[in-house]
Amino acid sequence: MIHTLYKLLSGPMMWLAVILFCAGTLYRLWTIFRLVRRKEKFICSYLSLRYSLRSLVHWLTPFASLNMRLNPVMTVVSFAFHICLLFVPLFLLAHIVLWEQAWGIHWWALPDLVADIMSLVVPAACIYFAIRRIRKPEVRYVTGVGDYLLLGLIALPFVTGFYCRMQWPGYGPVMLVHMFSGQVLLATLPFTRLSHMVLMWFTRSYMGSEFGAVRHARDY
Amino acid sequence: MEKRAIMLLIILMAVGWAAAPCLAQEKMHVVDNAIFPDTRCSPALFDHDGHNEKAGIDDCGVCHHVYQNGRKSEVETSEDSACVECHALKAGADNPIGLRRAFHLRCIGCHQIGEVGPLMCAECHPRASLH
Ligand code: HEC
Ligand code: HEC
Ligand code: HEC
Ligand code: HEC
Repeated sequence: MIHTLYKLLSGPMMWLAVILFCAGTLYRLWTIFRLVRRKEKFICSYLSLRYSLRSLVHWLTPFASLNMRLNPVMTVVSFAFHICLLFVPLFLLAHIVLWEQAWGIHWWALPDLVADIMSLVVPAACIYFAIRRIRKPEVRYVTGVGDYLLLGLIALPFVTGFYCRMQWPGYGPVMLVHMFSGQVLLATLPFTRLSHMVLMWFTRSYMGSEFGAVRHARDY
Repeated sequence: MEKRAIMLLIILMAVGWAAAPCLAQEKMHVVDNAIFPDTRCSPALFDHDGHNEKAGIDDCGVCHHVYQNGRKSEVETSEDSACVECHALKAGADNPIGLRRAFHLRCIGCHQIGEVGPLMCAECHPRASLH
């Protein structure tokens, strides 16, 4: 039973999740660019590589934007969260072994202890984000149930992944939850707030260009 | 008379107990992982003879294969060579399948097709037997 589901999740379901992620991302980009072309074509007239990069660099460097300096704790937690969120799935030995098995490709893997700590940073940061959403009125005001559900969905693959790594009782079923939650996260990513993973590059370019080239101001 | 019998029994048991580890070492219960530099997992569970008996594998060449002209030989086998002698640790131009991958493809590959045998990491690399 567990093995049947394992084969389903490690085979067809994984492909489905990746395809939905790619198709969803392309769909989002397509609809957004169509909207831009219809409504605000003039954006293209001042889109500037220099100001786009200036904005991106400032928002991807810790404390390089005013907003980050005003919220230092949030900045530290947020950077730690994003780095762990991206690095752990891509550089975890167990994942690399699976890719190696399937395609013969492999690359550098995180040391065990580092990977363990980084996987725990993600759920810890999710708890921090949730508390922040509850405690800060200006954030609570723009928070819906979906935001808490999303934080839970992000934490789930990391918590279950760590659980399996420790090989605690229930390893088999927890592994299935790990795989499925990760796939749901990936497949729905283009349609949740997490779509900023892809869209952020464009929104920042747009803001950077508008502020830099039009208003002659900073957006960071 | 009875005393002597008991003494004899104790001596036999002692000899048996002392010899047991030596005899047991003849049998393979895990696949030795000493060849891997800085191992990250426990050696894979593999009771060589018991496994093959239970799984009904009579042909040693299923695992200890020999390739001739790019095709697996039906008759020749290579149980006198370790896998690493042909599958070096790192894959490369003259070594299409690295050692770790060769093991995983062979073991998990068959379990996947056969609907039996372990598939998930911890089923072969349980933490309890780490080091
Ligand atoms: C399911 C796969 C499998 C089958 C079938 C199999 N072996 Fe092995 N055998 C192994 C593996 C794996 C090793 C360890 C190889 C290594 O460390 O590189 C091994 C090692 C050995 C060794 C070395 C012993 C040692 O202690 O290091 C001998 C001898 C051997 N096998 C004989 C046989 C014979 C004879 C048969 C057929 C009756 C057979 N094997 C069938 C997987 C298999
Ligand atoms: C005498 C050399 C030799 C030994 C020993 C050897 N192999 Fe191979 N193996 C080869 C060659 C040659 C190929 C074909 C590689 C290619 O595709 O060019 C191969 C292919 C494979 C493949 C992929 C094709 C298939 O059969 O599924 C696996 C998996 C594999 N070996 C596992 C093992 C394992 C595990 C051991 C030890 C039990 C082992 N090999 C021992 C030479 C060897
Ligand atoms: C040709 C097919 C085949 C290959 C190759 C094979 N296995 Fe298996 N394995 C089986 C089958 C079939 C079973 C289930 C046996 C049973 O319990 O009836 C099994 C069961 C097992 C089990 C569970 C044993 C138990 O007592 O429950 C382990 C552990 C295992 N295999 C490890 C390995 C390892 C390690 C390798 C590679 C060196 C390997 N197997 C290669 C077919 C294979
Ligand atoms: C069917 C049994 C089996 C399964 C399942 C399995 N492995 Fe292995 N693995 C082996 C064998 C056999 C070796 C080579 C000999 C050894 O390490 O004992 C090996 C070697 C390794 C090695 C290299 C040696 C080391 O300790 O660094 C790593 C890493 C590894 N496996 C990781 C994994 C991961 C991660 C998974 C799950 C995605 C996994 N294995 C699933 C059988 C298995």
